[in-house]
Amino acid sequence: MSALEYLFVGFQDVVDPGILPWLTVGVTLGYVVGALPGLGKGTGVAVSIPLTFYLEPVAALGMLIGIAKGSGAGSAVSAILLNTPGEPSSAPTALDGYPLARQGKAQKALKMGLYASVIGDFLSTLILIGLAAPLASYALMIGPVELCAILLFSLTFVGGLSGRSLTKGLIAAALGVFFATVGLEVETFVPRFTFGLLELEDGISLVPMAIGMLALAEMIVQAGDLRTLDAETANIKDGTAREDRVVLASEWRRCIPAILRGTAIGSAVGILPGLGASVGSFLSYGATQRLSRTPEKFGTGMIEGVAAAESADNAVVPSSLVPLFALGIPGSVIAAILIAAFILHGLTPGPLMFKEQPRLVADVYAAMICASLIMLIVGCTGQRVFAQVIKVPLRLIIPGVLLLCSVGAYMETGSIFSIYVMLFFGVLGFFARKLDFSFVTFLIGFVIGPKLELSFRQSIQILGHDMTNLVKHPIAVAFIFLTIAVVWWIGRGNRPAAAARHLEPDVAAAPHNTGTTRNQKGG
Amino acid sequence: MICFTRRSLLRAVLGAAVGVAGFASAAPADEFPAGPINMLVGYGAGGQTDLVARAAAKVISDQLGVPVNVVNKPGAGGAVAARDLMQAKPDGYTMLFHSNTVVNSASFIMERVDFKPDDFEYAGMITAYQVGMATQKDSPFDNITEFVAWAKENPGFSYGALSPEARLYMEEIAKKNDLDANIVPLQSGSEMINALLGKQVVLAFSGGIHYRYPDELKTISALTTFRHPSAPDVPTIEEEGYPLGMDSRTTIFLPKGTPQPILDRLGEALKAAESDANFKKVTDAADIPIMYLGVDEAYQEMEKTYAKNKEIIEGAGLAAN
Repeated sequence: MSALEYLFVGFQDVVDPGILPWLTVGVTLGYVVGALPGLGKGTGVAVSIPLTFYLEPVAALGMLIGIAKGSGAGSAVSAILLNTPGEPSSAPTALDGYPLARQGKAQKALKMGLYASVIGDFLSTLILIGLAAPLASYALMIGPVELCAILLFSLTFVGGLSGRSLTKGLIAAALGVFFATVGLEVETFVPRFTFGLLELEDGISLVPMAIGMLALAEMIVQAGDLRTLDAETANIKDGTAREDRVVLASEWRRCIPAILRGTAIGSAVGILPGLGASVGSFLSYGATQRLSRTPEKFGTGMIEGVAAAESADNAVVPSSLVPLFALGIPGSVIAAILIAAFILHGLTPGPLMFKEQPRLVADVYAAMICASLIMLIVGCTGQRVFAQVIKVPLRLIIPGVLLLCSVGAYMETGSIFSIYVMLFFGVLGFFARKLDFSFVTFLIGFVIGPKLELSFRQSIQILGHDMTNLVKHPIAVAFIFLTIAVVWWIGRGNRPAAAARHLEPDVAAAPHNTGTTRNQKGG
Repeated sequence: MICFTRRSLLRAVLGAAVGVAGFASAAPADEFPAGPINMLVGYGAGGQTDLVARAAAKVISDQLGVPVNVVNKPGAGGAVAARDLMQAKPDGYTMLFHSNTVVNSASFIMERVDFKPDDFEYAGMITAYQVGMATQKDSPFDNITEFVAWAKENPGFSYGALSPEARLYMEEIAKKNDLDANIVPLQSGSEMINALLGKQVVLAFSGGIHYRYPDELKTISALTTFRHPSAPDVPTIEEEGYPLGMDSRTTIFLPKGTPQPILDRLGEALKAAESDANFKKVTDAADIPIMYLGVDEAYQEMEKTYAKNKEIIEGAGLAAN
């Protein structure tokens, strides 16, 4: 049988009444888990593995993959409606999604988020199916030395995301890197800035930190403006006009390049080991803002921002299975958890599985494609329910969100300490907003900093403490030169963003203004 | 001696306290368990230890007829969970399923961790970690002796290390044989596999997951005192003249002062995992050998490995405490 015939048989297997319902259960479960802050896909899948003992292999694997995929789409919902990313990788979705929701365009933002999620996920699944084997061998060429150069290059996105002041953006990014150094140092396990607290030995956890910086800080700002906001909520609720509820053709035209770019970035990040979905969505958001004609408007409700972040976020999941399927290497946390589930159900990931169990592999592929489509249906139904949130006055939402924030921060480690971490960063985030420091660059510094440090230390050892050994790593050299070029370009002030700002200083808005300004713009 | 007195005193006081509590509550030890049990796991959901813990929780729950809830409490390699356990009531309803390294090696390596074997009670140990040194299948050496000979010809080779213990092994071998090693820090098991398959390092310390790659990777040394069930032909590091074997096993920890009947009851329930089909399915899938030790043997194993590891780690000048 040819590959296509196998895939056809796979679809026949998956449509079986013993399998398709489980796939739907998985996607729905994932969607809900994703929408709840703090409950990530990792937890969702790990807790469900014992439940799948009693299922057939295809149903079990389909359900687990469904959870992983569904949660990627679900996490956009709370990011857009409550400014509380369901998972850290959806943090950039909140940057433009939440302003859109406050402008009465929640439905539009939710729809765009879902479509971008489904498209990113679907295309990335096709990449997995078509390219698993050939791509994986290239992924192994990317070692620590190459990774270090790539990460260095990605730090230049800070330049594009800094908002009105490059200096403030750089300060925020440096602070992000600084907070990421807390914890055991990777080489000799010397504790840094832990103040004797065992809870800080593993570093500051991304989830409570992001919840504090984004959601909690936003709630504090809004609580300070309640009277204005109440008046506005009375005027702008869920938009009823068609152009507020659906994605218009003109917006599609603007979003499609963002989605395709997001998918490409997300897929690449997924294939490269150890980067993770957060890096993917932040890079995609950064790239889209940088290439936009109106970069200064990002953060005030640009639909492309939602599309870019969500497509990359969801593209990471399927493509992180590429190294798993082709070489048996887990490229992400979720792949590492799935590897155990795959083996339990009789499919050992690796190059041999295509030869030994082509039918099971085809079934899994078919299940993954079906899961993309189910995600679209579940998402459309789900967001109609969730979108009602926007009609509730903020007075009632703030306490609810604070509760969700606390639960979300608590969930990951099961420790009250995480709530203190959240509170600390809530206060920091509040001042960042008031003083107009970009927390996007802060988060980028926080996410990329530790990976850069580790890969730099690894590179020193691998290069044998000798710079000249770099010539054996042409990919790394290329990225280093690219970095230098971009830094030079930014330094000369040739950014379109900067130019635009010089021309129309009054129109240009601060990307991270208070909720009040956003609402005034929307109203 | 002082330590002994303090320990027995502590036991007596805690025993009395538990006795009082036992009378006061409706469930004395012989009716244990009367309600759900919480099982802490010191790693995040989805890791190897977590999967084994969840499978063990299932077996224990079936045996005792009450639910066993797995609660992930990651932090500082399990030290956060172990510290929380010390503060829990010694009534058998809170336990920790974790690698015994949190006591027998973290105490020497991490500055803020200082557990001793008699800070806890043990209901048994169930699986062993096949800690070893792994390399690519086509590497020109099959044991440490051959590796040393190769390394002398190839100075500046890269070795992947996940932890201070992992560095210790290479530093000791290098010191003894005057080798020039570049020790590459790695952060996780999957990163270690990547580094080996991508040929970034010629040799790496592995907690046992490299056994999942029998076609690409091989083991050259077991860093334990026993040969690995998954590679019975590979010599241990001790057999090759380095007295550095450090054993680690998944262990059920209980707070100090948990009554003996409760420990025995839990130990019995854990023993059932040894022959449970579902449990075996989970451990086989990950190439983890089941090596059950009962309540008393677990305590002895803890004391023995604690003393031995202390000597090794302090001898290498690495100890943090």
